[in-house]
Amino acid sequence: MNEVCFKNLDKENPASFATYESTGGYKVWRKVLNGEISPEDILAELKASGLRGRGGAGFPTGLKWSFMPRNQEGQKYVVCNSDEGEPGTCHDRDILRYNPHSVIEGMAIAGYVMNASVGYNYIRGEFMEPYYRFEEALKDAYDAGLLGKDIQGGSVSFDLYTHLGAGAYICGEETALLESLEGKKGQPRFKPPFPANVGLYGKPTTINNTETFANVPDILSRGGKWFADLGVENSGGTKCFSVTGNVKKPANFEVPMGTPFAKLLELAGGLKEGRTLKAVIPGGSSTPLLTADTAMKMTMDYDSIANAGSMLGAGSVIIMDDSTCMVKTLTRLAHFYYDESCGQCTPCREGTGWLYRVLQRILDGNGKNEDLDLLLSVQGKIIGNTICALGDAAATPVESFIRHFRPEFEYYIKHGKSMVEVNV
Amino acid sequence: MISDQAKKEIDFWITKYPEGRQSSAVMQALTIVQNENGGSLTGDLMREIADHLQMPAISVQEVATFYENYNHKPVAKHTIRFCHNISCMLNGSDDLISYLEKKLQVKTGEISKDGLVSVKKVECLGACVGGPMCQIGDQYYEHLTPSKLDNILDDLK
Amino acid sequence: MSEIEFEIDGKLVTANPGDSIISIADREGIDVPRFCYHKKLSVAANCRMCLVDIEGSPKAQPACSTPVANGMKIHTRNDKAKSAQKAVMEFLLINHPLDCPICDQGGECELQDVAMEYGTDVSKFNLGKRIVADKGIGALIQTDMTRCIHCTRCVRFGAEVAGIVEMGGTGRGEDVKIEPFLTEGIQSELSGNMIDVCPVGALTSKPFRYEARTWQMSAVETIARHDLVGSNIYTQTYRGKVKRVVARDNELVNETWISDRDRFSYEGLNHESRALHPKIKKNNKWQEASWEAALDFAVNGLKKNAQNANQLGVLASKNSTLEEYYLMQKLARSFGSENIDYRLDKADLSIRNKMLSSITLAEMESVDHALIVNSYLRLEQPMINHRIRKATLNGASVNTINNKKFDFNYRTDLEVLCSPQKTLLMLQSILKSLHNKTKTTAPKNLSKIKIDDSQNKIADDLIAAEKPVIILGEHVNSNISSSDITDVISEIAALANAKIANLSLSGNSLSAEKVGFKPSIKGQNAASMLSENTKAFLLMDIDLNYDFINSKLATDTFNKDDVFVVSLNSFEDEAALINLDVLLPMAGLYESSGTHINFDGVAQSFSASVKGPGDSKPGWKIIKVLADLLELKGFDYTDSSQVADDALSIAVSEDNEPIEKNIKDSDDSQIAIHWQYSPYAIDGVTRRAKALQETQIGKMNDAFISVATAKELQLTEGDLYHGVPVSINETIAEGCVFVHTYQSRKG
Ligand SMILES: Cc1cc2nc3c(=O)[nH]c(=O)nc-3n(C[C@H](O)[C@H](O)[C@H](O)COP(=O)(O)O)c2cc1C
Ligand code: SF4
Ligand code: FES
Repeated sequence: MNEVCFKNLDKENPASFATYESTGGYKVWRKVLNGEISPEDILAELKASGLRGRGGAGFPTGLKWSFMPRNQEGQKYVVCNSDEGEPGTCHDRDILRYNPHSVIEGMAIAGYVMNASVGYNYIRGEFMEPYYRFEEALKDAYDAGLLGKDIQGGSVSFDLYTHLGAGAYICGEETALLESLEGKKGQPRFKPPFPANVGLYGKPTTINNTETFANVPDILSRGGKWFADLGVENSGGTKCFSVTGNVKKPANFEVPMGTPFAKLLELAGGLKEGRTLKAVIPGGSSTPLLTADTAMKMTMDYDSIANAGSMLGAGSVIIMDDSTCMVKTLTRLAHFYYDESCGQCTPCREGTGWLYRVLQRILDGNGKNEDLDLLLSVQGKIIGNTICALGDAAATPVESFIRHFRPEFEYYIKHGKSMVEVNV
Repeated sequence: MISDQAKKEIDFWITKYPEGRQSSAVMQALTIVQNENGGSLTGDLMREIADHLQMPAISVQEVATFYENYNHKPVAKHTIRFCHNISCMLNGSDDLISYLEKKLQVKTGEISKDGLVSVKKVECLGACVGGPMCQIGDQYYEHLTPSKLDNILDDLK
Repeated sequence: MSEIEFEIDGKLVTANPGDSIISIADREGIDVPRFCYHKKLSVAANCRMCLVDIEGSPKAQPACSTPVANGMKIHTRNDKAKSAQKAVMEFLLINHPLDCPICDQGGECELQDVAMEYGTDVSKFNLGKRIVADKGIGALIQTDMTRCIHCTRCVRFGAEVAGIVEMGGTGRGEDVKIEPFLTEGIQSELSGNMIDVCPVGALTSKPFRYEARTWQMSAVETIARHDLVGSNIYTQTYRGKVKRVVARDNELVNETWISDRDRFSYEGLNHESRALHPKIKKNNKWQEASWEAALDFAVNGLKKNAQNANQLGVLASKNSTLEEYYLMQKLARSFGSENIDYRLDKADLSIRNKMLSSITLAEMESVDHALIVNSYLRLEQPMINHRIRKATLNGASVNTINNKKFDFNYRTDLEVLCSPQKTLLMLQSILKSLHNKTKTTAPKNLSKIKIDDSQNKIADDLIAAEKPVIILGEHVNSNISSSDITDVISEIAALANAKIANLSLSGNSLSAEKVGFKPSIKGQNAASMLSENTKAFLLMDIDLNYDFINSKLATDTFNKDDVFVVSLNSFEDEAALINLDVLLPMAGLYESSGTHINFDGVAQSFSASVKGPGDSKPGWKIIKVLADLLELKGFDYTDSSQVADDALSIAVSEDNEPIEKNIKDSDDSQIAIHWQYSPYAIDGVTRRAKALQETQIGKMNDAFISVATAKELQLTEGDLYHGVPVSINETIAEGCVFVHTYQSRKG
């Protein structure tokens, strides 16, 4: 456990420059600065590592980096997505707090590979403590002469800045994030063009998640194969999971990909006394809900969770025991998407409010028999028709909650109250 | 009026962005100005920011109304931003919010009579393993219980 | 470019890489529903109405933002496409009020049209609809934001075309509101186009409100005539009145846009001061008369007072039709008088003063450098300014030489402040610099002239540019050296290989020039007619207080007992009643057929949209009858198109020699005054258009003076200068006063 991103967690001063260096930090970056390692070598290692983007979609990172037109003239950018807003997710926060240098080094290496001399780390506006930690680390890195222009008199330049958000989940979507970085509302851009061609300020840009970057230095210092072997096929390495909800000890765990869900549940202290597992959201609120049975059989990697009917997503495992009212829980999620829709495209702007209001009506005891079909129909009209994936994310829980727990919803509509006797 | 000190801070942020891209600093400018103005923004302040960053006033207003963290009405001295999203909810945030409402005799969204505190339900603050949790100022308070809340409130002045 | 081949609704077609599906569908006549897409605006892809099915793609894709690719198979109306489109339609309608019967957009609403085809009859949405509180955004645009579908066309129009970001979307999610900053209204001189681009009834014409339902009106194709562009428009009429003006596409002229001036000026046609009946002044008393009686009275008066043919003077404004100019000059010349002029506001009436433009409207947008001289281009010629703005978006640079700093809606490189007295010298310095740089010999008269850095830069920029243009604006008209200025500009252009855009000839001036509505060597120009022995005047469309550079001189002359003045006009006002003898009510804008010659030299003819009110008659007919009554030959026209044919076929003799008779501004101090009307006060009908007058532009009323000049004139901020409040600042050159106002020169 805690082998890569969290490996310094139990050290005395995990976030410090000294701690980071003492465990091999900046080794790779110094090699880069000494001209001992080429972009091609780095890309090859990355591809071998099987690292997939940890921000949610799981896109292979090496491949993504190779899309950048590195030889094209003009400014290019590397952007780190530390907007962490997916309900149930909070491990990027801990990476920033306890291992900020890994993100800095990962971004710098990315800059070198993609010939981008400027990077921004977009940190959500509420993360003030992580922001201060990251800024401190940044200062140390500059002081150590590891960042800047023509670093150590060589030909490599990399300047890294933080940008703070101000409260908008949608800014985690990479193109909304770019808009926000440009000082605009965080409204996603349509694609194509993709950021690799037209990104920040119209320049080629690669955006990766905090954890993705944090993995990079160790992959390169210890080898792509080493990393790949930590995990399972198609899911290389370790993954940070935030295990939250009805468990005794909610916490972040970095475990190898392929770890059984049951093991993870155990790590989090298991369920509370006398409770049974009812359902699990494995990858954050935007991923489909799974029933207890299915969840208990899966392992925590891309393929296994996909086979179970959901997604690894951002690695945010939300545990619900038998005291959980599915109507209330879904309504809360629907409210979230309704609140966070950027308002740009029609289906999401109009649809998320519709979903939420119908659910709230049910929760208020005024549900109608046809409401469940209505909900399914509305979510079906959102899915696939929006600019960005927030629309899909809003629709997904509605579909999966109703599919798995329809009788509970029907009961609520009929009786005006929850089927679940809540006695915590 | 934006103070010179605030302008200096804004100008520091401007240096992070390429030349001519000073509007990238608008979010931080709004934050800085809002803090200076006791927690909320006004039309005049937005106009001043627009002028300072050489951007259209409406674009500043767009940003200032898009993001959750900007306020356009005066706020309490301390806003308790309580997460009520799924992970916190599963760990009892609703009960704690009711507890607060009762104790402070304010409804969420209202300001206490002495102007000291208000309670606001917010979406996920990214500290789910610490739920139920809330944010006051820059600070996160996690694993909350009624007695922890009591202590926190006692410390608010 | 290599062509790519693909299929759309079963049809094999080709396109260029990068073309969007929707543009090809439009080309092929395949109707893809859309709201946010507009061919002249950037793609937003936010309405999602244009979703189509592309084989192999799991999701439906927006036709507006998806580029075509080789081998693509696109279906715009199969089940998948239709169900996506219907889904979007349903979402759009849940919060839309569906108040079509009371909505001004009813009948021409894109949402209504598409809903007919794609909507379902019964909405399953049974929660309350969103209501958006409205706040006024100015005198021209009526908002009803509850109807807004958030397509952002108006927002993009402002940012991309109008060049001032005024509208925005505040808030987020369902609460997004399309609005301008706080309580500020919309200021752009092109703002009315937002009404045209708005697909629904959220933005409608305020003056048009409650006037008529769209389907009751008939649309007439016509030409707007307030500027040099001659924008193509439709007048929409109902019960014999123009109720609304909207843009008509003409890529070469106005593209898709029109200025607010062109859109809203029609309101002036219904002003209470319309001249409805012929009137004559007998024994110093006005009385209404029949046409017959009035014309008799007029002809008799003219004959009596102009016993010598050269005692007749004929004057017109800049806004008559080609036909009117032609007939009027023909009348004068047949009568035996060469006293003909339309250049009422020019200080320098030398005949040399006719520099020709050498660029077209469409070419203006591909220049790489523009030097603007003596012009507040944005307000004078909004659509030409728009072309220059487009050029700047493609990287063109702009320098200006003006007596004041103006608010351009694009970046200017160098703005040189220069008073009217120094403008000639300034240009001569630039010319000399060009000679130096091109190693050509400068004429002797330039030998003593000095050159400063900014003049060198202006010269450098002109030389460095591949396609530069020099734009000369209206302000030159009040400059007593304007012919010398145009000469120097011509020389500069020749040396720098620059094109010329002479925009000092505004309105329909090019028609007046075409038919020679100017005195020949034997005749007198406007200034001398007024100061010398002219005893009978025929005036056409002239506003006594506004149109003359020296209106006091004009009214004093007309008011003399032994001067007989006949005026053809659509309006009558106090000044007319005091100073004139016969008033012949003339059909106004859009009320008669005619021709406008635009900047490109294109003669655009139009027919009458409506009949003039009361007894008013088209100008060309009045002139024809007058000529007949004066027993002049050659006026057997039965149709204005015959007049136009003649007018366009005559060649004006070029053998005129200059009449060097410059008059000075009435202000005899050393300080030059430049009086510019607000763009909404440039002619009689616009001045009377109510809503335009209520806009910020319409209300502008400032006499700008520099600190030093203010001292010299002993003026302090807010004092009145010829009736206009003084504004003292450093945006204005020393030694001059720039008056920008809706008020008449007479104050
Ligand atoms: C609505 C929405 C919210 C998202 N929020 C985040 C986020 O908070 N953090 C993140 O890293 N990625 C988030 N993503 C995914 C990003 O768009 C993007 O895929 C990711 O940052 C790419 O990094 P990766 O390749 O390293 O995963 C979000 C996506 C969507 C559609
Ligand atoms: S799906 Fe929602 S969040 Fe994404 S662009 Fe559309 S409105 Fe905005
Ligand atoms: S027209 Fe394509 S999304 Fe609106």
